[in-house]
Amino acid sequence: MENYLSTEFARSGPLLLAEALNKGRYKTAQRVFELMTPEQVVDEVKNSGLRGRGGAWFPTGIKWSFMPKPPLKGPSYLVINADEGEPGTFKDRAIMEKDPHLLLEGILIGSFAIRAETAFLYIRGEYLTAHDALATAIAELEQAGFLGDAVFGTKHRLRIVLHRGAGAYICGEETALLNSLEGRRGEPRPKPPFPAVYGAFGRPTSVNNVETLANVPAIVEHGAAWFKSVGTAQAPGHLLFGISGAVERPGCYELPLGTTARELVEKHAGGVKGGKKMRAFIPGGASTGFLPPEKLDVAMDPESLKKEGTMLGTGGIIVIPEEISVVDAARVFSRFFRHETCGQCSPCREGSAWSDQVIARFQRGEGQREDFTLLEEIMRGSKQRTICVFPEAFAGPLGSAIKHFRGEFESAMTTQQAPHA
Amino acid sequence: MPELTIDGRKVEVAPGTNLIEAARKLAIEIPYYCYHPALAPVGSCRMCQVEILDAGKPPRVTIACRTEASNGLNVSTTGKDCVAARAATLEFLLANHPLDCPICDKAGECDLQDFTYRHGSGVGRFTEPKRATLKHEPIGDHILLDQERCILCTRCVRFMDEYAKSPSLVVAGRGDRNVIAIFPGEPIHSNYEGNLADICPVGALTLKEFRFKSRVWDLDTEESVCTGCDRGCSILLDTKRNKTLRVRPRVNLQVNGHFICDQGRFGLLDALNPVGREELGWVNGARVTAAEAASALATTLAAERGKWLVLLSARLTCEELLLAKAALRPLAKQLAYVPVAAAGGDEILFTGRRAANQKAIERLGITALSEEAAANLLAEPTTVGLLSFDGALAARLMSQLPAAAKSRRLAIVDVIAKAVMANAAVMANAVLKPPHGAELFVPGTLFSEKDGTFLNVGGVLQRARRAQRWPQGTVSESQLLLQVAASGGVSLAELTAKPDLTFALLEALGQPGAMLAQLPDDGLKLAAATEVAVA
Ligand SMILES: Cc1cc2nc3c(=O)[nH]c(=O)nc-3n(C[C@H](O)[C@H](O)[C@H](O)COP(=O)(O)O)c2cc1C
Ligand code: SF4
Ligand code: SF4
Ligand code: SF4
Repeated sequence: MENYLSTEFARSGPLLLAEALNKGRYKTAQRVFELMTPEQVVDEVKNSGLRGRGGAWFPTGIKWSFMPKPPLKGPSYLVINADEGEPGTFKDRAIMEKDPHLLLEGILIGSFAIRAETAFLYIRGEYLTAHDALATAIAELEQAGFLGDAVFGTKHRLRIVLHRGAGAYICGEETALLNSLEGRRGEPRPKPPFPAVYGAFGRPTSVNNVETLANVPAIVEHGAAWFKSVGTAQAPGHLLFGISGAVERPGCYELPLGTTARELVEKHAGGVKGGKKMRAFIPGGASTGFLPPEKLDVAMDPESLKKEGTMLGTGGIIVIPEEISVVDAARVFSRFFRHETCGQCSPCREGSAWSDQVIARFQRGEGQREDFTLLEEIMRGSKQRTICVFPEAFAGPLGSAIKHFRGEFESAMTTQQAPHA
Repeated sequence: MPELTIDGRKVEVAPGTNLIEAARKLAIEIPYYCYHPALAPVGSCRMCQVEILDAGKPPRVTIACRTEASNGLNVSTTGKDCVAARAATLEFLLANHPLDCPICDKAGECDLQDFTYRHGSGVGRFTEPKRATLKHEPIGDHILLDQERCILCTRCVRFMDEYAKSPSLVVAGRGDRNVIAIFPGEPIHSNYEGNLADICPVGALTLKEFRFKSRVWDLDTEESVCTGCDRGCSILLDTKRNKTLRVRPRVNLQVNGHFICDQGRFGLLDALNPVGREELGWVNGARVTAAEAASALATTLAAERGKWLVLLSARLTCEELLLAKAALRPLAKQLAYVPVAAAGGDEILFTGRRAANQKAIERLGITALSEEAAANLLAEPTTVGLLSFDGALAARLMSQLPAAAKSRRLAIVDVIAKAVMANAAVMANAVLKPPHGAELFVPGTLFSEKDGTFLNVGGVLQRARRAQRWPQGTVSESQLLLQVAASGGVSLAELTAKPDLTFALLEALGQPGAMLAQLPDDGLKLAAATEVAVA
């Protein structure tokens, strides 16, 4: 299968509409609007086995099938999650900066599938270049009559509202995103009700990640069977693997799901920078935690990584070189998560801060033996005990660091008596 | 109605009831902070975790506040996972808590203290430096905020949004930098601000008016009724050494729900601690004991039967009004009252009608007179004087009299501050004068100084308990009225033969009789008014 996500990544600026049309773009979307029913689109996506690329890997077609069917009692919305805040993740940015029309065609088809006449594109505030590329592309579509009151000249209506976030990681969590979109504090909502029932502005809403939607035009064009011919049985298709950290050629690589981490790091990214040794790697964004180099042969798909006690997450690999200690690396993430929790749930707010303070002590060589139990209990007291899965996110690097690199923490312990012992 | 099992005991609840309320029915405590029965549940504090038991599956820990009772649900509040989860939540909440209980107003009635005793661990493991934030920031006319004690339950924010309809508080910051705050330069401006000190589960929101006044366990608490307006909210009066130090709402779903307004709360605080109260009586310019003044009044009314205009006041209890009607109607030229109109009420609780028991006067069939009509009646040559149970009203009426009627005499029974002579400095030993220049003044009592009932605007009869002692030597309104009846030869046997005056009152209002002690705590909703003959 040829690449279908990253064809334009080598460009210096975004692909504009005229050229995109020359490449056959929007033919699929037009066919959908003119000839297909929403059910047919949903079925095709369902059959393809496409799973959400935002990190939770929920089947996209099934998510769409939860949306209301006629007679509709009011508007349904598509919300595009372009908040991309997970450290080590920059795939959505690549799509939006280089190939905004790939995403927009996916949005057109997705909106049609769930009968939404408004799509809210919530983009990370720092992504200015991507924002401008999208704003231009949306204006091009409006001019061309691909948006508005008669999409492709059909009776369907669609408008896309581009909304910039204000720099909070938690606003990538879909319900915090909805609150933020509505002008409220970016705090996750308790579920149920789920967005498909009570989403943006209280209306049924499907929240989909940028890369997820970017997969949709190709799936509808080539069919579910085509899509399932690559990747793993449970996670078909290509993924944009972002590789960053100490590698020779950091970047975004489009490869089938199930490709090994070793192939990605060593073959595509050119191995550890300067030929150094690897201390650890993170398979799929900060919240998936650390794995030792011995695990490099793991296949990069949700199921294989779950067996290793971690997750595929966003597929953003971070390579940590020998000279950086895992204690220091863990502190980078504990600080990040402490800073980024919304803080409404007591265990998450206090647990993320407390564990950061404890790791900071290890960093200063003041760790204590009791701290291992303490950290375990902070994680146990907060995981699955809060409104969203943020504690799972901060426990990712924390738990894996202690599990795989306990020795590093032990050598960062104080020789002095604990103050409370 | 769903029937569920909690800790092995079955309970039936109304559909839509959450597990906290279902457990409350069984007197099982599920601790909580962010939940409040009058606010939408957000499920963020994580204190109310319980276990759902499902045969063949491991127990599932979840929050009780957002779980609706459903038929057959099996809940455990004692399973080891939920017990551990609650203890963990408490440890998190206490991690950065300043623990300044020894100087905290809330200590003794603090949910953080109480739940820690009952659901937490005796030791804390937090040894890191604690957060330092604002300790006593005024955020309104009455409330001070201590951000360090705050556990970020957001009850206060949601109360201002949802109940007070006056969004004024926010969570500012993110994560562990979250603090409760006002919008810069925009302090709380609401008639419901005082409730914040009650709904805050800890000592983060304290009342200026109560700060450092007393340890709460040194307070005596009585159930009472607010007389700030005729909503008649259920309240608690907290007193110490005969002073009312705090007025709090008492939950009464048929009257005020969970809250009271500031007009009532702080108005009562002033009214129940009257400054410079005249505790002696006056007769013809001489300061006498209350008993002497009462006798003089009784003698005058008996001797000048049918010549005095008598105006009752909605400050009196129902029982006093009943006695007054029986004792005074035969002796007065006219027994009446001047209805108080509503002014400045709001859509929430405050009616703006500052006449607590006006409904009772109405339903007892006392004649209503406008202020003008009362003044005209008083000016009639056959009227010799005015007896008023409301000093301020009496003063207004007297000042309206035409020159020809200036000689009308005045008797007042009310709680009034001592009146001081204008040239007091010259006449050092005669500094006082009779209140409003009354010929007869009998010091009255506060509603908090006696047991009695009030009938609110919605027809709910509520009991107010005696919470304070009246000044020594005071003749209460009831004692005065009995004396007046006796000297006027009016028989009150019909009333005094009943088990008590509340019983007599209910019968007089055409309701089945019940004694004061038998009234439900949240009051008795009376059947609609039956016609009572108007004199
Ligand atoms: C803390 C947190 C942060 C998240 N950040 C993002 C994000 O930046 N982008 C994203 O697409 N999904 C993010 N998610 C996942 C979303 O909640 C949601 O699952 C996703 O947008 C659904 O789209 P998908 O089904 O296409 O993956 C985040 C989830 C959590 C818990
Ligand atoms: S778990 Fe953390 S990030 Fe998620 S809602 Fe609760 S406090 Fe906010
Ligand atoms: S809020 Fe409660 S626990 Fe905190 S200092 Fe006051 S009494 Fe103590
Ligand atoms: S101030 Fe009190 S009510 Fe408000 S969030 Fe803090 S603890 Fe809760």
